[in-house]
Amino acid sequence: MAMENPAMIRAEGVEATEFQDLASQFHVQGVPQTVINSGAGMVVGAVPEQNLMAAIQRALTN
Amino acid sequence: MDKLLDDQIVEQIGEAFAELKEPVQILLFGSHKNCEYCAEVRQLLEEVSATHDKVGVTVYDLQADKELAAQYLVDKAPTILIAAKDGAQISNLGVQFAGIPSGHEFSTLINDVMMVSSRDSGLSAEVREFLKSLNQPLLLQVFVTPT
Repeated sequence: MAMENPAMIRAEGVEATEFQDLASQFHVQGVPQTVINSGAGMVVGAVPEQNLMAAIQRALTN
Repeated sequence: MDKLLDDQIVEQIGEAFAELKEPVQILLFGSHKNCEYCAEVRQLLEEVSATHDKVGVTVYDLQADKELAAQYLVDKAPTILIAAKDGAQISNLGVQFAGIPSGHEFSTLINDVMMVSSRDSGLSAEVREFLKSLNQPLLLQVFVTPT
């Protein structure tokens, strides 16, 4: 997703056991879990791209 | 340190990398303090880079290269950026990983290199259009574990 608009988007995989503080800050319980804009939105599990897009749209309009 | 990648894995990477199109530059931001896996990550990336001449790796230090780290918005080590390389130009595409990419995440790293090399996200037209229309910063952090 970041590739489509790198001026605005960053996509970061985070190894949760190595960065436990960050994982607990966002209440990560299972993996994969996607955190949008540091907690503005959240997606648990691997989801189709359409679902992730919908979650991003919700997070950005909040 | 012994090699991290055995012959079989190197062969598999070689098969995947035979499909590489454009050059890729991997940027590693390590740290000389409080970085348990930085040495391993560096070695891992250098072994991956050695399998194909279209895959380069450059190693930076989060503290010593703090201006570059700030430019790329990197705030933790190890952070791996998978960037596009065109001639001497390195373009950060916002594709990055924090931590050691072992286990299943090693496949993710190889897939990211393939994707950046193709310069094609593979997403649907509708999602691409939405992403291109974004005019505010978006950070997607995908938390994963190595197993």
